[in-house]
Amino acid sequence: MDKLERLLNLTAALLNTDRPLTAEDLRARVGGYPDEKSSFRRTFERDKDDLRSMGVPLRVEVVPGIDPPIDGYRIDREEYAGGELHFEPDELAALNFATNLVRLDGDETALVKLGAAGGSPAKEQVGRVPFPDALATLISAAADRQAVSFIYNGAERTVEPWRLSFSRGHWYLSGWDRARAADRLYRVDRLGSDVTLAGEAVEPVGSIADPLDLRSWELGDGPAVEATVRVDPDQAAFAQHILGDVSLADDGSLTATLQVRNVEAFRSFVLSFLEHAEVIGPPQIRADFIAWLEAQT
Amino acid sequence: MNGRLTARDRLARLLSVIPWVTQQVDGARIDEIVERYAYPREQLLADLQDIVFFVGVHPFTPDCLIEIELGDDRVHIRYADWFSRPLRLTVEDQARLLTAGRSVLALTETDESDHEAASPLLRALAKLSIALGDEGSGAVDVRLGSAPGDTLGRLREAITEGRQVELEYYAYGRDELTHRRIDPGRLFSDQGNWYLSGWCHSADGERVFRVDRIKSMLVTAQSTKHTVIAGDTAFAPSGDDPRVQLRLKRDARWVIEQYPFESVDDRGDHLTVTMAVTASPWLERLLLRLGPAAELLAIDSPLDLELRRRAADRVLNRYH
Repeated sequence: MDKLERLLNLTAALLNTDRPLTAEDLRARVGGYPDEKSSFRRTFERDKDDLRSMGVPLRVEVVPGIDPPIDGYRIDREEYAGGELHFEPDELAALNFATNLVRLDGDETALVKLGAAGGSPAKEQVGRVPFPDALATLISAAADRQAVSFIYNGAERTVEPWRLSFSRGHWYLSGWDRARAADRLYRVDRLGSDVTLAGEAVEPVGSIADPLDLRSWELGDGPAVEATVRVDPDQAAFAQHILGDVSLADDGSLTATLQVRNVEAFRSFVLSFLEHAEVIGPPQIRADFIAWLEAQT
Repeated sequence: MNGRLTARDRLARLLSVIPWVTQQVDGARIDEIVERYAYPREQLLADLQDIVFFVGVHPFTPDCLIEIELGDDRVHIRYADWFSRPLRLTVEDQARLLTAGRSVLALTETDESDHEAASPLLRALAKLSIALGDEGSGAVDVRLGSAPGDTLGRLREAITEGRQVELEYYAYGRDELTHRRIDPGRLFSDQGNWYLSGWCHSADGERVFRVDRIKSMLVTAQSTKHTVIAGDTAFAPSGDDPRVQLRLKRDARWVIEQYPFESVDDRGDHLTVTMAVTASPWLERLLLRLGPAAELLAIDSPLDLELRRRAADRVLNRYH
């Protein structure tokens, strides 16, 4: 039997029952599974993974009236169909247009489910945005005001998420860090673990002063230190674009004082201009910068 | 969505196709299913005929099977009670649609408050936000890149009108300010930055430029001469570029995530990576930034192993 036929029959069987069915029940009712016990188990596990990966809400429940207890499976019809989320044809067309114009990394089945997958793949695709694994969970937690837990910089954090922002090629989570009792910003691709939900958020939603403009040297747990950098005229326009509202001197060069929480990131930023930029102060950061370079000569 | 679909892809489609067709009183046109569900016609016909025809529940007597009637250009489906409603959108599906939609809003620089009658996209995004539990729809914010002043707008105009542009462009890789005349081809955003692809008359070839490194630009009266064909990837190392081999500590792994590489040995407590060097200042920056986290193992001529020391000396000259 074809795998597709087996998966369809499996889904039908699970939807068609109110009582959880054991793996053995399903083998007998669905058909198309191998006879040999361990290869049946492997095939059945893969089928379950396939269904779950599509969003089929497969329930695992103890089958009533059997001793010793044994796990059974079923799909609740209401849960399967989900809430009422209905789109008008012009809204579907707009979503179709959007997903054609901006490609998100990863698997795209939402439009197929909505029957709005038509149209030729955009010839005018103008954007590509990464979609890391944790992002969907974080977006839904932020929307639904749920706290989340994860590891970051080697420490466990519990954060009330506010907003997910994509800027300069990275996704950032802003929110309230409960243990530190302060707002924080995290790079989503640097989370050191899966994200788990940690109950309802209690603090009001705040915002970090335009997190989209935050630069890497502003991301850190330490206190902010003021550091000053000077950039030569030829590179000043590019630096100005990154730094925002900084004016140029008469000779065309740029001098900016930055709030630095992450000294390594600041050093990297200055080094990206090679010999066309200079750390002016404070003396400690300037001395460390020189020592860093001298170690490489 | 080209090529052959896997069993899982076809299942995802059929779980929506079946309920949709059962709701059409006169059946559904095959062509319309092909279009709506991105289901290649041959495959759809084969799946309906050879597979859906046999789908049902135990004991698979005729009254327990889906009834399917396949004509030349239409299909009727009945008695598919278990599949009377389509499979839900998951949280991930919703979050992805919301993200794509908000990216497009960022692209068109739409000011949401400007629209008294909300556009279909804004309406769809509002529904998705509510489904995710958000009343304020502020959970996702996307910026596809930024560009100084009105550069993006003027480049778009130049492309539409087919005018050549003159750029004062900071070539970051080579660390120099250059002057070029370009036939602009298209604008695209990749990983958070805007790029312009076009024909560069100075280089006599197709090139890709990062829009935020354009120091100044002038739209000329000259019409463009070259049509730009490809160009939607930001990095394009050429076969002639010298190669470098680096030994990286594990915490410098980001290098291989950020830059294209030719080969990597990722097994031990260090990574050994081989990369193309499109311009030496690019490598100098990378090495100076990495410091002790990177060791230069080998490098092709005309570059040499002293490159790092010389670069460090040049920067240090400012401090002596």
